[in-house]
Amino acid sequence: MDTGGGGGGGDNVLVAAVSAQPDQFDPHVTSAYPSFQVLENVYDTLAVPDAEDLTMQPSLAESWETSEDGLTWTFTLREGVTFHDGSEFDAADVVYSYNRIIDEELNNAYRFATVENVEAVDPQTVEITVSQPTPNLPALIGGFKGMAILPEGAAEEYDLTTEAVGTGPFTLESSDASRTELAAYEDYWGGAPGIDGVEFRYITEPAAALTALENGEVQWTDNVPPQQIESLEGDDAVELATTPSVDYWYMSMNYAREPFGNPQVRQAIATAIDRGAVTEAARFGAAQPNQTAIPEDSFYYYDYAPYDANVQEAQSLLQQAGVQTPITMGLMVTDEFPETVTAAQVIASQLEPIGITVDVQTVDFATWLDRQAQGDFDAFMLGWLGNIDPFDFYHAQHITDGSSNFQGYSNPQVDELLNSAATETDEAARKDLYDQAAKLIVDDVSYLYLYNPDVVQAWAPGLSGYEIRADKAINFEGVELP
Amino acid sequence: MTGAPVPEPGGSPDTPAGAPGTSPVASLKPARPRWRETLGLLARNPTAAVASVVLLLIVVVAVFDDTFAPEGANEISVTDRLQSPSWAHPFGTDDLGRDILSRVILGASVSLKVGFLAVGFALVAGTMIGLLAGYYGKWVDDVLMRFMDMLFAFPAVLLAIAVLAVRGPGSGNTALAIGIVYTPIFARVTRASVLGVREEVYVRASRSVGASDWRILTRHILPNAAPPIIVQTSISLAFAVLAEAALSFLGLGTQPPNPSWGLMLAEGRGYIELAWWLAFFPGMAIFLTVLCFNLLGDGLRDALDPRQRTLMAGGGK
Repeated sequence: MDTGGGGGGGDNVLVAAVSAQPDQFDPHVTSAYPSFQVLENVYDTLAVPDAEDLTMQPSLAESWETSEDGLTWTFTLREGVTFHDGSEFDAADVVYSYNRIIDEELNNAYRFATVENVEAVDPQTVEITVSQPTPNLPALIGGFKGMAILPEGAAEEYDLTTEAVGTGPFTLESSDASRTELAAYEDYWGGAPGIDGVEFRYITEPAAALTALENGEVQWTDNVPPQQIESLEGDDAVELATTPSVDYWYMSMNYAREPFGNPQVRQAIATAIDRGAVTEAARFGAAQPNQTAIPEDSFYYYDYAPYDANVQEAQSLLQQAGVQTPITMGLMVTDEFPETVTAAQVIASQLEPIGITVDVQTVDFATWLDRQAQGDFDAFMLGWLGNIDPFDFYHAQHITDGSSNFQGYSNPQVDELLNSAATETDEAARKDLYDQAAKLIVDDVSYLYLYNPDVVQAWAPGLSGYEIRADKAINFEGVELP
Repeated sequence: MTGAPVPEPGGSPDTPAGAPGTSPVASLKPARPRWRETLGLLARNPTAAVASVVLLLIVVVAVFDDTFAPEGANEISVTDRLQSPSWAHPFGTDDLGRDILSRVILGASVSLKVGFLAVGFALVAGTMIGLLAGYYGKWVDDVLMRFMDMLFAFPAVLLAIAVLAVRGPGSGNTALAIGIVYTPIFARVTRASVLGVREEVYVRASRSVGASDWRILTRHILPNAAPPIIVQTSISLAFAVLAEAALSFLGLGTQPPNPSWGLMLAEGRGYIELAWWLAFFPGMAIFLTVLCFNLLGDGLRDALDPRQRTLMAGGGK
């Protein structure tokens, strides 16, 4: 194996083993997690989630305030920030970046659904006007680097798919089929990072990534085989960290394909599945089964679990639905996320006793996404990663014609609850609205929620200044090598 | 060796014994049918004999897999996962608690079915092409064999992956993909063999008495060109089983949860440090099957080779 040799850069370069190659580096366009692992260290947003509790903290914006009526947000920007090309950061860059997302209807445009205008009041002040109160605006624009600030005109000046011009602690130096290299940005507004650079090396096999960590080839990895977590806990050669994540994994059925449009059929399936067994099989216990989306540690967690794994009950629900068994259900999964292939096999064995034959369809992720978009599926399984606000968890997935509502769910009551929750400024009242929406979503089985996985990462003993985070953002700004 | 070409012993049954005018279909049947003689020779080759017996066992197990397998292929029990080999589970259990012995047994029929289908396809298609090309020669030969050369130019696994990319994964398509990959091999072997017998006296004689091309091809050429094709079949079966395993390993062949040795190997690879038995037993099954097909192929080659045959039958010199 190539040990990196000279490619490893100086001695003070962190080599991080990640599982996949970034698809591209345009933060506003990509939706791939491997890209965000890199971009997290290259770009900044106005606000950032706190590493501990994910509340929004100042970043490129030093402070912000809302008008009395909640319709005007004023962000005061940080001074003395420069982009990697040397240009000064100011309000025009924020206006340019946000308008690019809105005007070109890029991936995250839905996050600006209530935004009417983004204006530079002066170089240090940005005013955002919204059509309705949007209490989660800082989370919407700071949740992840998909809302990154680019220098004005960057899309015209640079090929953003391969180049990056951010304000973050590292600059993007090069990227090829085996690694992506970052170098420390000496003029970073938060102070130059403690290491000279980061090399992201793609190691697909978890076992290989772990071996590379154990023999010192890499110093950090998030590609830890779940089955080895237990044995690693007593291992001195590796520092292992786990924390509950804000991801959730779910199954979804196509309302347009009979009999899955029938709520009783979906409820029968939800009742037949033993989430504990699915979770154990997919994650070796490094996950919590959950019948709703939001994990237990969150303020917005809603303790609701109406389905007990019960074959008889599931059968009688199917009978009430008047469905002739056996029926066949295609379950689309992807080897890009091997846990979906494992979980699907367990689900198949659990649905067999109630007369549902599951045809597990393993496809590559591009095909998977394409078929999802075309509505060409009976059911699929996947996860939503890095959710922070309940809006991320529920809105686009369950509102009628929502941009991620591929299953075709439509419940006017849920629409109303989601819409009022999105504009509710009182936290307790907002939680109550999301709880009510979640109850309906779970009862109707718009999504069949399975589990919240743990984040599992490992690094070389003695590596300091790194914090494992629930949102899986990977930030090497403060890292010091052993 | 010098002298005129001598028809092989036990060769064409109606080799004309005399000049045209005597009945061309007069049959000179050898004392023992050729296939029985071959079997006899094979039995005297201990390696090939053992390989045949083991293969026969594997085939029997594959045919009656439901009877032999103690459990179903997909009896998942997460609480029983990763158990090491024991009396209850002689080969242990996998990451979903499935009995590996059962899956290896049930996987045999998948692997062999794909192997036989693939080689069957290649055998029929390749032999036809080789016969036509070798017998007619000229432009027929050029067109057919240049096309075969084209297929041959692709690395085998790459071509199979391309076929699967177009047709989608699955056992049936895997068989087709492997079949296409091996067709040129059979075409070449057959053609070479046909060229060797095309100008034999008995063929020319048959032609001179007005036998049709079809009759000459099926009654004279094919039987005499067959030995290398039979050997090739056995060796190709080994490669087809291996190719099925490789494609399933890559996720293009048999799809989970169906058992296939290659797929089990792929699934077990992540557990090699924790639970060696996940990958070991399917790996052994592949190893044993491929080895036996190869040994049988070697044995057949010896038994069917006329020179070797005389040596062996004559008690050796």
